[in-house]
Amino acid sequence: MPESGKMRHFGDWHRLTGGGGQRLLHPMSPDSKQDFALAFLSILFEGAPFIVLGTLISGFIDAYLPAGLMDRFLPKNKFLAVLTAGLLGAIFPVCECAVVPVIRRLVKKGLPMSCALTYMLAAPIVNPVTALSTWKAFQGQGAATMTSSRLLLGFLMAAVVGLIVAKLPLRAVLRANLVASLEPDDGPTLEPDCCEHAEPACCGHHHHDPIHPAPESQKVSRLVVAFRAALKDFTDVAVYFVIGVSITALFNTGIAPGAQWLDHLASNPAGAPAALMGLAFILSLCSTSDAFIAATLDRFSWGAKLAFLTFGPMMDLKLIFLYQTVMRKKFIVALCIGLFLAIGGISIFWQHLIVEAK
Amino acid sequence: MNPRISRLLFSCAVLGWGGVLLYFYGSGRIEHYLAPDFRVFTLAGGLGLALLGGFNLLTAGQSSACGHSHDGDGHSPHEPTEDMHPITVVLMMLIPIAFAVAWTKDEYSSAALARKGLYDAPSGLNASFLGANLTALTLGEIEATHPKTQDGFLEFSLMELFFSSRDPEMKTLLDGLKVETVGRWADEKVYNPKGSRKRLYRMFINCCAADSKAIPIVVEFGKTPPELPENCWVKVAGTIRFLVEDGSIQPVLAAERAAATESPDEENLMRKP
Repeated sequence: MPESGKMRHFGDWHRLTGGGGQRLLHPMSPDSKQDFALAFLSILFEGAPFIVLGTLISGFIDAYLPAGLMDRFLPKNKFLAVLTAGLLGAIFPVCECAVVPVIRRLVKKGLPMSCALTYMLAAPIVNPVTALSTWKAFQGQGAATMTSSRLLLGFLMAAVVGLIVAKLPLRAVLRANLVASLEPDDGPTLEPDCCEHAEPACCGHHHHDPIHPAPESQKVSRLVVAFRAALKDFTDVAVYFVIGVSITALFNTGIAPGAQWLDHLASNPAGAPAALMGLAFILSLCSTSDAFIAATLDRFSWGAKLAFLTFGPMMDLKLIFLYQTVMRKKFIVALCIGLFLAIGGISIFWQHLIVEAK
Repeated sequence: MNPRISRLLFSCAVLGWGGVLLYFYGSGRIEHYLAPDFRVFTLAGGLGLALLGGFNLLTAGQSSACGHSHDGDGHSPHEPTEDMHPITVVLMMLIPIAFAVAWTKDEYSSAALARKGLYDAPSGLNASFLGANLTALTLGEIEATHPKTQDGFLEFSLMELFFSSRDPEMKTLLDGLKVETVGRWADEKVYNPKGSRKRLYRMFINCCAADSKAIPIVVEFGKTPPELPENCWVKVAGTIRFLVEDGSIQPVLAAERAAATESPDEENLMRKP
């Protein structure tokens, strides 16, 4: 039936959309099912390939990477090691979904937690794919400034977190079972991760020595180890990914209540970055594609978009679940609050420094 | 649970995911979910999942590099997650995706469309969408780059008409032009005092359907619009006007003819890779 008069504000909006709250009260209406399914599958299709990539890489790291190799790549000096870890994404680009299983393995392989965490936070941002997508998305909106600012802020935040973590005991950061796998009684690096017993010969630990090639049968078995480790990592990550995607899909399609409040905050200097970081947290977008969303948020300031693009790849709803496979819940909460405040504050400052100066 | 059985269950779950990704890619339904440059990742991901699940399924009983199977020794880190029971993990992996596959209609409902901008005025959106899509700058160039129908209407993409309202030059050039465009049929719920209006829209996908936006224009018939099914594809020809309504410029197509038509090859508008 045609309606008369012009739509006015939220009462009409609420009526048009059917009302998020009302829809949540009837979450399994056919429309809700249809909307949830489309959003859920699209995010899953977008993210799953990167998780597969990450878990396959992590599985092969488990089976083939000699313990301590990453250590040998990094400078001995802790400070320089953290800074170097923050740049590894430039030569080993992975998004935030893929990086979690990779660092799980790297930590088990003996990579210092400070470096692993720095790499985990920086790699989704400080990598060529993200740089290219950001530059492309912000054409006509200060692409070079936004891209360089995003990479620099991402690197700085990751390095700062890494340096702080370097001062903390492992038990304050890592999950108990991960710490247990690093206990001194079996050495900080299990080699290979497939063996947690004390008979080195039976596991052929020495076959990791690249100078002595492994027999053909062991090469095949090593492949089995790699794929089993990848399977384990994939299932670990997939469960949390599904939870995160489900919640994201509910918010994205308005089945979960609360979205219009964002518009009210767009003109608020402090509220805008906070609102967009909140949005980034809920949407859980991939760092390789989030710039295309940020570029369309034209009611928001440049600084708010920078906050969106830096905070999102480091902390979002989906990552909260993924991080729980590695880190303690208390540490995740502290990390989330710290990143939120630091990135928000720097973005506001950056906005004044760079944009206002122009 | 026996590690071998866990491996088999997990392998099947992973194969299930791989099957879904490959099915949506192979059937072409993926075009409703992802932008073109992301679709190949779905194929690669599906193949990767098939490889991961298949390999583990086939080697589930094989000994690892340690020279023995970890079965029974109770502490192998290769075995499925110790955080949850394997059955729980498999169910959590498979149930949501199974329901999603069963429920999806490859499109949003009208409520979700409203949330995604079906009733937003063009000024509420960023014209950067348009950057790569509008190139013509003179009427001559417009006519040269847009085919003309036999009855004299220039064929325009809905995207061009929508975003022209943000571009003063284009708006001036297009205002009053006879154009034909294709979109999906929806009720006009914003301003429709005589009941003579409809909306024509297409979805614009940046990366995936979750970030899609509706790109709508208003179609004015001046009388009761023709009866066509909601969301069906319609070809409309008429005169494009850019009217100020409720404080924003709204592209309104004064229709001379409208008829149901085939869906375009690519139903959604996509970001150019």
